[in-house]
Amino acid sequence: MNVKTWFADIEINEDGSVADCSPCTQDVQQLAERLLVFQADPKQIPPAGFDPVQNAIECGFVAGETEYYSLLQQVCIAATRLKIKNSYSPDLRIIHAVEALDDIDEAANLLAERLGIWYGEHFPEAGMLTENLAKFVAENGLRQDLQQDSQFHEAARSSVGMEMDAEDGAIIKAFAADLTSLYERRHVIEAYIHKNMEQLAPNLDEVAGANLGARLISMAGGLQSLSRMPSSTIQVMGANQALFKHLRGKATSPKHGIIFNHPLIKNSHPKIRGKMARALASSLSIASRVDAFSGQLNPAIKEKLDRKVQSIKEGSK
Amino acid sequence: MKVKTFHENIFTLQQGKKRFLATRNLSPGFEVYGERLVQVEQAEYRIWEPKRSKLAAMLLKKLPSPFTNTSKVLYLGSATGTTVSHVSDIVQQGVVYAVEFSPRTMRDMLPICEERPNIIPLLADASKPQSYANVVEPVDVIFQDVAQPDQASIALSNVQHFLKPGGYLLMSIKARSVDSTAKPDTVFKQQLKTLLEQDNSKLELVKKQKLAPFHIDHLGVVVKKTE
Ligand SMILES: C[S@@+](CC[C@H](N)C(=O)[O-])C[C@H]1O[C@@H](n2cnc3c(N)ncnc32)[C@H](O)[C@@H]1O
Repeated sequence: MNVKTWFADIEINEDGSVADCSPCTQDVQQLAERLLVFQADPKQIPPAGFDPVQNAIECGFVAGETEYYSLLQQVCIAATRLKIKNSYSPDLRIIHAVEALDDIDEAANLLAERLGIWYGEHFPEAGMLTENLAKFVAENGLRQDLQQDSQFHEAARSSVGMEMDAEDGAIIKAFAADLTSLYERRHVIEAYIHKNMEQLAPNLDEVAGANLGARLISMAGGLQSLSRMPSSTIQVMGANQALFKHLRGKATSPKHGIIFNHPLIKNSHPKIRGKMARALASSLSIASRVDAFSGQLNPAIKEKLDRKVQSIKEGSK
Repeated sequence: MKVKTFHENIFTLQQGKKRFLATRNLSPGFEVYGERLVQVEQAEYRIWEPKRSKLAAMLLKKLPSPFTNTSKVLYLGSATGTTVSHVSDIVQQGVVYAVEFSPRTMRDMLPICEERPNIIPLLADASKPQSYANVVEPVDVIFQDVAQPDQASIALSNVQHFLKPGGYLLMSIKARSVDSTAKPDTVFKQQLKTLLEQDNSKLELVKKQKLAPFHIDHLGVVVKKTE
C-alpha cells in the first residue's frame, strides 16, 4: 500500500512495515504546500493507527522525535499562515466599507448636531442643517464675513444671535470644515461601494441597488452566507436590534426587514407591501446565488421580478 | 498561596477561602488571554477559569483527567486557544494537535503556537479527519468542543481514526447547538446514543456530568476506547 504523509510517500507492506520510502527535503515552505494539497484533496490516506513519527525516523527524514516535532510545528504554522492568507474573500471590502459608512454616519450626526447648536447660537436665522450647514459655515464663517451678494446677507445684518469675534470664527469654521470632509469621505466610500458591488455582485446590484445590496452582504457576513439564506430570512433580515444600529436616522418600521427600504416596497400601497416584499426577497435570493457562483450579470432575474411586480399591481386594482 | 496537585500537572491554588484551578506556565512571563499569572516559589501558574473553559469546568465537576505529562492530544475546536494553552501546560512533554476551521479564529491562535513548542495548529474541518490524517499520530486523548449539530459523529470519526486503544475521549455537548428546541436531556441522550451504541465502536462511558453552573445546558462526557 502506498500512503502519503506530510514528509514522504511511503510504501507499506501487508504487516505494516516500511517497504520503501522517499522522504521530502526539509524545506518548510515546500512541505507546507504539500500539506495543503493533501488537505484539499486527501488521497492515499494513512490507515488508522499509522504512526508517522516512527516512520519519519525510520525513513531517515529526521534523526529523532525532537527534530520531528519542531519541524512539524514549523510546517503546520507555515501551512496555516498560507491558508489564512488565502481565505479572505473579496466581498470583505464591501463589508468593511459598509461598516465604515455606519461609523461615519454616527460621527457625522453627532458633530452636525453640535455644529447646529453652536452656530445656531450665533446665527439662528441661517436655518440649515447637517451637510448644508457644514458647507455653509466652512465656506463663509461668521455672519459678519458674509459677502454682499449672499442670500443670507439681510438676515445676518438683523440677526438676534450672539456676537462672535474672529477667534470664535476661526474655531467654528475649522470645525465645520472637518465635518464637511467627513461628508465628502462618505460620498467617496459610497462610490467605492457602488463600484465594488457592480464588480462583485452585479445581480444583487441590479435588483437591490448598490446600497441595499451591500448592506445585505454586510449583515449576512458575506456574499456566500447571504446566498445560502432562504428568501424568507432575507425578507426579515434586519428586523431586530441590529437594524437600529444600521438604520439610525432613517425612518423604517422595525417590524420589517431592511429590504423595506427598497423603492418597490417603500413606494407601494401598504396593502401590497407584503406581497412585494416576498417577491423582492425571492429575487434577491436568486441574485445572490448567481453572484456567489458565477458572478455574471443575468438580466433575466430583474426582468422576472418586474413581471411579478406588474402582476401584483394589477391584481390589487 | 498554597499549591496542591489536583491531577497530574493540574493544580489548585488556595488563597484564604478561595480555591483556583491552575496550570504551570510552559512559557513563563506570557499570559495568553488575560488570565492571572501567579508566582509561587520557583514556578509560575496560570489561573484557569471554569467559566471560560469547558475543560476546566469538567475537571471541577469531578470528571477524571486522562492527561499526563507526555500525553499526545487531538483537540477539536480550539478556537483562539484559551483552553488549548492550558492543555499545552499540562502535557509539557507531549503534543497538542489543535484543529480549528475558522481562519479568523485561527489567526488569533497562531501567536500562541509560536510561543509554545508543543501545539501543532491545523486549520481544518474536524468532520473530515482524512484531511489531517497525514499529520496526526495516534493519540492518548481526544478533546472535543466544537458546538456543532453533529458533534457526536464528528467525535466518533476522529476516535476511529486517531484514538489509541485504552485512550480517552472527552467532550462537551452543547444542547442548543444540536437542537435549539428540544429539551437538553433529550439531546444529551440522543448524542450519547450516537456515540456509544455504534456497532464495534468499542467505546465505554466512564462518566458524564452537567457543567452548570459554569456552562448552562452543557454535558461533559468522558469515554474510553476499550480495545
Ligand atoms: C465553543 S468554541 C471552542 C472553545 C475552546 N475549546 C476553548 O475552550 O477555548 C467552538 C469552536 O469550534 C470551531 N468549530 C466548529 N465546528 C468545527 C469543525 N467542524 N471543525 C473545526 N472546528 C470547528 C468553531 O469555529 C469554534 O471556534
